Amino acid sequence: MMYLLARLEETLISEWIRETGWVFFGSLIFHSLALALVVGMSLAVLWREVGFAASIPAGRFGEFIPLSKLGLMVVLLSGLLLLIAYPAKALSNPVFYLKLTAILAALVITWRIVANNRLTDPVSGKPGARRRLAWLGLCLWLTSVAAGRFLAYTHNVLLASSFY
Amino acid sequence: MVDLLLNFAQVSGVYAFMHSAWGWPIIESLHFTGMCLLIGSVGVFDLRLLGMARRVPLQALHQLIPFGIAGFSLNMLSGTMFLVSAPDQYLFNPAFQTKMLMIILAGMNMLLFYRTAMGAVRTVPADALPAPRARLMGGTSLACWSMVIICGRLITYYRPPYHWCFWC
Repeated sequence: MMYLLARLEETLISEWIRETGWVFFGSLIFHSLALALVVGMSLAVLWREVGFAASIPAGRFGEFIPLSKLGLMVVLLSGLLLLIAYPAKALSNPVFYLKLTAILAALVITWRIVANNRLTDPVSGKPGARRRLAWLGLCLWLTSVAAGRFLAYTHNVLLASSFY
Repeated sequence: MVDLLLNFAQVSGVYAFMHSAWGWPIIESLHFTGMCLLIGSVGVFDLRLLGMARRVPLQALHQLIPFGIAGFSLNMLSGTMFLVSAPDQYLFNPAFQTKMLMIILAGMNMLLFYRTAMGAVRTVPADALPAPRARLMGGTSLACWSMVIICGRLITYYRPPYHWCFWC
């Protein structure tokens, strides 16, 4: 496994991302901007769902879907570039898998809430169960953000010489 | 200035916490959470001012702003902890200086917005656009906060004292 990751890290594209300052930092910047947008908009949906800002028509949040899809694509693409730059560092770290799992679960929950509210505007269903799901979504988004930051501090393997 | 901040960090215990095993990543996590809260409220409101998701009433969306204030407060606190724990990495860093400038600009834009445009924005119905002045301020706010995020990431790129700064 480590041999494979080392080979991947020796590829031209990995070196290019890692050692071209603007590519690496460009990816970091786009990753941060897009994650702020995607996580931020998801938090807004979930705050509404748990009972804050109650006068926002919950079903209308669906209008932000095209922008969140674009944000998500940017997050994924920039994240992939960052992963290709340091594959061994990320893929050998359990925190990376925690981050991915939290993102995936948070996305499914948020998507489900938005889709459900769009179909049944004004919102229907059991308020207690909906709120619990929204709180879980909030916790998962915060976990993914924290895991993203802890990734930079918890790696055990660093093969590349150039490191930010 | 550097000595003053470092002294504060050491006396208050912030320095010891930040340089412990998990101090920096914990505070970074809070800083990023604050950023998401800010963009998820102020940023979403700015996007609506610019004409996105027009069926969402602006007056209702404004109820999310307290989350933005909470996010900004969290980031002021966590940001101060970074600054006092490694002042030389921030004070002489052009990315940090630009970030502070953008925060001041965003603050001035916000004050101007509440003094001159918010009254009319409250009465904008769903499906309608606010006045051009309010849209311009929404765009300015979004641009400033985006620059704050960009400069925040670039702080690690510039390693003082090898780069230009205002007073070195």
